[in-house]
Amino acid sequence: MTEATDIAATVARPSRARSRALARFVRHRLALFGLAAIVVLVLLCAAGPYLWPYNDLRINMRQRFAEPLLAGLHVFGTDELGRDMLARLMMAGRVSLTVGFAAMAISTLVGILVGTLAGYFGGMIGTALMRFVDAVLCFPSIFLLLALAAFVQPTLLSITLVIAATAWMEVARVVEAQIRSLRERDFALASEALGASDAHIMFRELLPNAIAPIVVASTLNVARAILLEAYVSYLGYGIQPPVPSWGNMLNNAQEYLVTAPWLALLPGLLITLAVTGFNFVGDGLRDALDPRLDIS
Amino acid sequence: MTDDQLRDTGHSQTLARRGLSRRQLLAGAGIAAGAAGLLPAPARAQSKPPARPTGHVIIGFSQEPTVFNPLMPHIEVDQGVYWNLFSPLWMADQTGEIVAQLAAEIPTVANGGLSSDGLSWRVKLRPGVTWHDGKPFTAEDVKFSFDLLNNPKFRAWSRTGYELMQDIKVESPTEISWKLSKPFAPFMSILCWTFMVPAHILGKAADPNTAPFNNAPVGTGAFMWKERVPGDHITLAANPHFFGTGPYLEQIIFKYIPDLTVMFTQFQTGAIDYIGLQGITADHYGQAKKLADRNVVVGPAPFIESITLNLSKPQFREREVREALYYGMDNKSIIEQIYYGLPKPTSTYLPTQSWAFNPHVAPHEYDPAKAKAMLDAAGWKPGANGIREKNGVRLSFQNSTTAGNHVREQAQQLLQQNWSDIGVEMKIKNMPPAVIWGDYFNKSQYDSVMIGEDFMTGPDPDVSPYFLSTAIPAKGGSGQNTMEYVNPEVDKLLQAGATTFDRAARQKDYWQAAELIRHDLPQLPIFQYATVEGTRKGLIGYAPSVYVSVNTWNVNTWYWAS
Amino acid sequence: MSRFLFHRLAQYLVLLWLVSVIGFAVLHLAPGGPLAQFTLIPGMTAEQLQVIAHQMGLDRPLPVQYWEWFRRMMVGEWGRSYRDSQPVLYVIGAHLWPTLELMLSSSVVAVLLGTWVGVLGAIRRYSVFDYLATIGAMVALSIPTFWFGLVFIYIFSVKLAWLPPGNLYTIGDGSFLDYARHLIAPCLVLALVTIAIWSRYMRASMLEVVNQDYVRTARAKGVPERAVLVHHTIRNALLPMITIAGLQLPTLLSGALVTETVFTWPGMGRLFLDSIGYRDYPVVMGILMFSAMLVLIGNLLADLLYAVSDPRIRLD
Repeated sequence: MTEATDIAATVARPSRARSRALARFVRHRLALFGLAAIVVLVLLCAAGPYLWPYNDLRINMRQRFAEPLLAGLHVFGTDELGRDMLARLMMAGRVSLTVGFAAMAISTLVGILVGTLAGYFGGMIGTALMRFVDAVLCFPSIFLLLALAAFVQPTLLSITLVIAATAWMEVARVVEAQIRSLRERDFALASEALGASDAHIMFRELLPNAIAPIVVASTLNVARAILLEAYVSYLGYGIQPPVPSWGNMLNNAQEYLVTAPWLALLPGLLITLAVTGFNFVGDGLRDALDPRLDIS
Repeated sequence: MTDDQLRDTGHSQTLARRGLSRRQLLAGAGIAAGAAGLLPAPARAQSKPPARPTGHVIIGFSQEPTVFNPLMPHIEVDQGVYWNLFSPLWMADQTGEIVAQLAAEIPTVANGGLSSDGLSWRVKLRPGVTWHDGKPFTAEDVKFSFDLLNNPKFRAWSRTGYELMQDIKVESPTEISWKLSKPFAPFMSILCWTFMVPAHILGKAADPNTAPFNNAPVGTGAFMWKERVPGDHITLAANPHFFGTGPYLEQIIFKYIPDLTVMFTQFQTGAIDYIGLQGITADHYGQAKKLADRNVVVGPAPFIESITLNLSKPQFREREVREALYYGMDNKSIIEQIYYGLPKPTSTYLPTQSWAFNPHVAPHEYDPAKAKAMLDAAGWKPGANGIREKNGVRLSFQNSTTAGNHVREQAQQLLQQNWSDIGVEMKIKNMPPAVIWGDYFNKSQYDSVMIGEDFMTGPDPDVSPYFLSTAIPAKGGSGQNTMEYVNPEVDKLLQAGATTFDRAARQKDYWQAAELIRHDLPQLPIFQYATVEGTRKGLIGYAPSVYVSVNTWNVNTWYWAS
Repeated sequence: MSRFLFHRLAQYLVLLWLVSVIGFAVLHLAPGGPLAQFTLIPGMTAEQLQVIAHQMGLDRPLPVQYWEWFRRMMVGEWGRSYRDSQPVLYVIGAHLWPTLELMLSSSVVAVLLGTWVGVLGAIRRYSVFDYLATIGAMVALSIPTFWFGLVFIYIFSVKLAWLPPGNLYTIGDGSFLDYARHLIAPCLVLALVTIAIWSRYMRASMLEVVNQDYVRTARAKGVPERAVLVHHTIRNALLPMITIAGLQLPTLLSGALVTETVFTWPGMGRLFLDSIGYRDYPVVMGILMFSAMLVLIGNLLADLLYAVSDPRIRLD
């Protein structure tokens, strides 16, 4: 099957194509595992704090650095102020997952939009858009964070936006380069000849073919956003103590590398789980959207 | 004269000066009494210093020294280098005693160096001292240094005290005299860290602010400038013609290590021989103690950790509120748990080593029940969310400190809980240093900060810049009273103390001021800092001192045990 | 082609100017200032701070300060650092070599290893190797470099004493071997993250190409598998990587902040952070302009290279 006939099929029977994509996604065992991991994490962080007897902020100076499994109900141990680690991890997950996924979604969407438009239209619009991307890229991300932090009040939403604002350019450049190359291919030209609209060609024909690097870029952005959230607090922004996030829990654990390693291992593990889960979902998504895979 | 002879004479001269009775000093010099016993004795020399400078020491600092003209605005870490490159006229040793350096003797009323009103000074200089480039050091250099500090075109690091100087006269190459326009007791102490710069080099520069000297300094200290690798290290080499004791080391290297955890691992692995300035954090103390081949020393520092309140904020206007907050603080847990019992609790602003320290100031007490009762009595009733309020003012405020200081953040969080228990809300808002210590702090825009400050003027216990009502920067005053603390009685006492030269009278004034400030509580003192620093075993001579802000003041006497 | 270049360079000049205006404004309007470090000096007074501000020219209106900076910049004067009063170019130059040494070595390691891991992962998709590589990459991305660095130092320097705990060289030694020994740890730690990024992109790109018609055609024609892999697959898969490489190029000189901090490496990343921390305006502006030029050059090179290696792309 060539791309052109596949396009015809897509145009004719979009619902069938969609269900086939779903089927491909479900067949992807890793993708299901990734999805499960994320769902479990989200549920745990959303509902867990209501079910768990410990408060994430209550300090108990007599129980500092209790080791996991050895301190009764503190199954994951306690931190440097005697607060229950599990309670903190769950509350921290709310911040980190929100920031991580929201920032990723925003930066990916903006990046795709800018990249696709610039790559497809080229000319004045393309040049203007890409020079804008270049201009933002010129500022190192610490500088961007500093700038935005100076003028925006810190809230969870604004932190997410600030982080997204430093991450969309890479997606835009990658997508633009891909689209620019793809639009000269036979299937794009054929589609244009068939009288398909610009929007249709851009988002239904070209974009699915550029999905691979997008998935990678957005996976990288999830990890980046979760860690950046902790970093922006050094610039006088970010989440302030005592509110935990996985990133700032990791940062605060620096001094206890040797004496209390679980303080770092646990949040590190959860970040890895979230990022890996997302990566597998992305992989599955990529396969699901790739019509060529049906053949092999 | 050979090097060894020079060194020997220098040494015996130092000893002779130590023999000077303190009473012979101008009382205003105001240093030390009874402090010696509290200080760790300098490491006993089991072996003798080497005959000629040998070996090197790598000194780890968590900040980078960048200013090498000692008269320009600088920070503590820069002073750490100055003590080795330059010399003041005299300085305080770790017992607080004033020891002559470039001066031949300390001017006193008895030796004719000072008039009895403290206004006329005549200082004899040590003969035969040379700059690192071989040119002789003379009274012209001293005059030049003071003139430079008062030169309006020069970016002077401070003019406090210097601006009172008049009629600076070179009497002979080894003698200089000046007058003060009014009595100023701390001046003797200010001169302890006024380093002399060479007239024959800096005098020729078109603009002293950008002179090449500022990056290739020439001094009279025990070590000479060798090289600087920006962002990494500075190397100094032994000065064979140094006038004082030593140096016994061929080279000293100041290594910049920006992160405290990293600095500790470098100390652990022996990449640095001495870990200074912020030293070892309390969190690493337990680990550090167990290290083989390292000496870890807990020494006193002049800094006082406190919650400093901005009294212009409606929440803090009432004294009862401030006292209730103080009763509500679990300082003991902060000191014993978070800081592992290293610093000493305090309820006042002077280090215990100072002769003006008042031991009778009421100690801090943790009593949440009393705190609640006081707030109830003062009319602060619990409102929404259990936060107290009165006349529409909620007892809620922000607390800020330098972002990224994890140990301090722990203490902040504990206080947050302590105060929440008595119905007071504290929100944490930490910021990077360039933000918090700029206008935010200086122009009194903050609610409260957690801060460690040295309130003294060098070794002198004058605290006027911090507590005088005329020292409020937000109201156009000149000083650092960012708390906007106003108490006419304290004003009177501090002003009297700074213009009297009688130690006993000064002490009486300062004790009384301490009582008043303890009663008013414009700031809530927690502890006096302890520096936890370490050296590699076999390094002899390291001696922490409360009279300097950085402990590289005597590297000229350091050496490796052979 | 030359028209394209001319247009692009003209656009870049305008862009650089805009970056300088925005950068200058943001830097000066952001809270905090270079005098903050002096406020805690015992005995410092507000008057004295005022005098220092005046002498540094900080009390003038912002447009005047910008014009002064711009005018000097045009004649090649980048100004002097507020911290050590050295010329900005000298300060940048002093930090450039350590960064170049670290970044070049780690990039070479990362690109080679990353390409290999990515290609192998794509060919043997869903093999044990692929799983391990994927999970390894995810771990590398999820743990801050700071942690890797500290753990690395703890194991190899503190416990095993095989490697020095950072620093550019041993003061007093400085032989080639000494430099090399100091380079190993930061180079590997830094490369780890880049390998993770590079291998993920490479694997994705390979998977795209494997199913393209020309690869299938080549295979159908009976071209040996190895030749298909090298000539048709990897070559084409590397194409999109040009963009990624172009994005990475500026970091060669702008440095790696965290790695440099953990390993006490006096490079550009740390210089930038320290300068921002002290609000050392001339140096921050200098680095900003310097890195902006690098970004633009990197992007231009990527676009040119892309056009040269993919005939389907038109430059316009």
